[in-house]
Amino acid sequence: MQYSYLLFVWAISISWSAVFLIAVSIFLYVRRKHRSPVKASPSHVRLNDFVFVILLAGLLGLYIVSIERTSSLIFAAGNIIVEAILVLYTVKNRSAAST
Amino acid sequence: MKDLGTSEQGLSQQEAQERLRIYGYNELPIHAFSWVRILIRQFKNPLFFILLVAAIVAGFFEPRQSIAIIAMIALSVVLGFYNEYKAEKIIEDLRQTVSLKAVAIRDGKPAQIDSKLLAPGDLISVYVGDIVPSDMRLVECKDLEVNESVLTGESFPVEKTSATIQVQHPTPQQLMNYMFMGTVVVHGTGRGVVVATGKQTEFGSISKSLARTRPETEFQRGVRKYGNMLISLTLALVIGIFALNALVGHAVIDSLLFSLAVAVGLVPELMPAIVTISLSQAARNMAKQRVVVKRQVSIEDLGNMDVLCTDKTGTLTSGKIGLKDYWAPSGSSDQRILQYSLLCNSAIVGAGEITGNPMDVAIWEYASQTGLQRDIESNVVVDEIPFDYQRRMMSAVVKNGSGTLLITKGAPESVLSRCEQAESLKGIQPIEAIRQAVDSKLAEQAGSGYRTIAVAYRNVEPKPSYSVDDETKLTLLGFVTFTDPPKQDARQALDKFKAMGVDVKILTGDNELVAAKICEQLGLRVYRVVRGSELTQMTSTEIRTAVEEATIFARITPEQKLDIIKALKLNKHVVGFMGDGVNDAPALFESDVGLSVDSGVDVSKDAADIVLLDKDLLVLANGIEEGRKVFGNVTKYILMGTSSNFGNMFSAAGASLFLPFLPMLPMQILFMNLLYDVANMTLPTDVIDVEFKDLPKRWDIDFVRKFTLFFGPFSSLYDFLTYGIMLFIFGAAPALFQTGWFVESFWTEVLVIFVIRTRRVPFITSKPGKWLTILTLSAVAFGTVLPFTFLGHFLGFVPLPTEFWILLVLMVVTYLLLVDAGKVFFYKVCKF
Repeated sequence: MQYSYLLFVWAISISWSAVFLIAVSIFLYVRRKHRSPVKASPSHVRLNDFVFVILLAGLLGLYIVSIERTSSLIFAAGNIIVEAILVLYTVKNRSAAST
Repeated sequence: MKDLGTSEQGLSQQEAQERLRIYGYNELPIHAFSWVRILIRQFKNPLFFILLVAAIVAGFFEPRQSIAIIAMIALSVVLGFYNEYKAEKIIEDLRQTVSLKAVAIRDGKPAQIDSKLLAPGDLISVYVGDIVPSDMRLVECKDLEVNESVLTGESFPVEKTSATIQVQHPTPQQLMNYMFMGTVVVHGTGRGVVVATGKQTEFGSISKSLARTRPETEFQRGVRKYGNMLISLTLALVIGIFALNALVGHAVIDSLLFSLAVAVGLVPELMPAIVTISLSQAARNMAKQRVVVKRQVSIEDLGNMDVLCTDKTGTLTSGKIGLKDYWAPSGSSDQRILQYSLLCNSAIVGAGEITGNPMDVAIWEYASQTGLQRDIESNVVVDEIPFDYQRRMMSAVVKNGSGTLLITKGAPESVLSRCEQAESLKGIQPIEAIRQAVDSKLAEQAGSGYRTIAVAYRNVEPKPSYSVDDETKLTLLGFVTFTDPPKQDARQALDKFKAMGVDVKILTGDNELVAAKICEQLGLRVYRVVRGSELTQMTSTEIRTAVEEATIFARITPEQKLDIIKALKLNKHVVGFMGDGVNDAPALFESDVGLSVDSGVDVSKDAADIVLLDKDLLVLANGIEEGRKVFGNVTKYILMGTSSNFGNMFSAAGASLFLPFLPMLPMQILFMNLLYDVANMTLPTDVIDVEFKDLPKRWDIDFVRKFTLFFGPFSSLYDFLTYGIMLFIFGAAPALFQTGWFVESFWTEVLVIFVIRTRRVPFITSKPGKWLTILTLSAVAFGTVLPFTFLGHFLGFVPLPTEFWILLVLMVVTYLLLVDAGKVFFYKVCKF
């Protein structure tokens, strides 16, 4: 790789974006719990709410691995799988009002 | 008159034209439409100065970049000027359709003309509610009182006279036989000769300092603060990026140009144009429904409005008042009631047309149909005491063979309070003897939705002039009852307001029983009725509670209307007020959205933000939708700026620190910004989802902040991904890297609008506007072929390998799906 010495800095940068996004998601989720204490207590975290965050973490892993291996095939295949999961997620999680 | 070359016959049309040529139109330059002003505004943009500095700096080291930047400045200015000019021209043309009228004598005949066509020497008449159209010397007047606060600041009306005044070097305030442009007739009538027009008037000489400014709306304030916040952030980033780039060893000039280009990418320079285009688009759509917007920004308030205060007549009712019945206290139909009502009447009876007060018109129409008007031909009206809102009645002094009679007609409680006796079957009786029976009958009529006026009289001694002091010791003759049926489409409009979250309150000077009956007929639920007399007893806290609970405010004075509007605003409502009367102007001005009708008096039209050419609540409901559309589309632009655009510039700045070269050349960033602007130009035409129109919206900075925090990193994440692909999969040299990132970031930042613009499933359950789709996809196509063109070569791009395009498509699809999934999560969690 021509720029292999940059790989580490690059991985840190892209991870930072993803970690920041995940942190914001958790922050918004926690704030939401405080706002409606009757409907859901702060201790009751629904895993389903975090599918989006888990997917994001998975995507980050995929991107770092495929680029570290300079494999456009892994990148392409991984993207197609993630796209299928994302479509399923959005269809399942869209409320009646927003569809 | 002699000095001004005119006579009782007024000016001839030809002479008036000649004088207009000499003195100019009777108008002031306050609101004048100016393309020069619009052009200058383009250069007041901070972006212009940033680009200018960049072009000058580049000129010394990189002439090619300097030429490109200057070309982009020119294009930006032309784009902004063209769109704002077009938008303001539309508004100006619409404003012209609501012109003030004046009654002038031309060629010896009275004619209603546009007041801007008045010339010195014209003989004109003024009535209650008129805004005096020019400076004039009175030749005749009757109980004339004028509010001159616009000139003097004194709100107490000034009495006028037509008599000669002997004063050495008089000030305008001392000229009691003159009326001045812009002042308002609050009582009586007058006739005079125009002595000065336009800029030559007293008002014209000080008009610039009197140009009225209204406070910023919540939305304007929010958008301005948001813009300022971004500009401050940009300045800090630019300084930081420049310093860090120079420190890590990049050439100083490259670092400076790069940081300036990033600044250009961050500044929401299109915001004013998007707002202006959105508003003019909405104004044009509203004009198609005969609604004229005088103050553009009021459209936003209209969309945010959650309380509408309106009168009853003509809005909830047909406004076509018909005479139902006339009756004496004894219950009989005494024809004198109708005859006296005809004599004490303000309707203007012309050839084949009767105009004026709707109830007076109804009396004349009824009399004409039954031939009763012939019975009054032997009477001569020698004097009149005009109607006003305090007395709520008018009087006429009539001479006939049997003597002189003062006839008074008006609101029953006002007339009854001035009656000492009444005609009945038993002859003349004290008023107290029949009062209970009369009150009971009046309540019954009001409960059935009928409006009633009382007619009384007394014999008076002949004298030159009569005043309100003569309206005493009257004898009650009888009552006239009118019908004003509910409007056909009023129920539909009220239902629509309810569905849109707009609470309707009825503010009427009429009886509460009549108002309640109309509400019942229209299905408007009445939660509480508050009478004007109750309102006067309330503390300000009680008024604030009452305005929340009550649906009807009856028997209220114009001052109380103002109190109600103020209380609602204190309760954090966005309030619309619809009024067309003389005393509605303060409430119209105080409300967030002042609505008047073209048939209203001048002063109400002048104070209003929006004028309805037809008094129709249904078109107003459609106007609210337009307001919400403007709000929605401007919000989309803000959300675009805070997510993809901001994310792109942020990652560019970050990457420049660890890359051995600039991730994109300054002129490439500027070109991408220009293309992005072009794609966004059609945002104002976009379709708004139905649910967005359901409820009033408020500017919510917390929402924008959370949106930025959440969606900004998506864009940065994919930018870094592109860096990885270009560097580690393609081992790209600087030119290929820059081209790859240009194409990826342009695709993502432009295409994401289809996801962000709606909470629904893009394209499937929410279709974007036709022009937005066409222009966005065209911009993407242009950005895609650009590297293969001469222009692309000039900008430093190189062709990209086929494999890149495959990865790009996969990556962008994933990005858009991820943002859409994030959207589901965001709206579910944040509950906006």
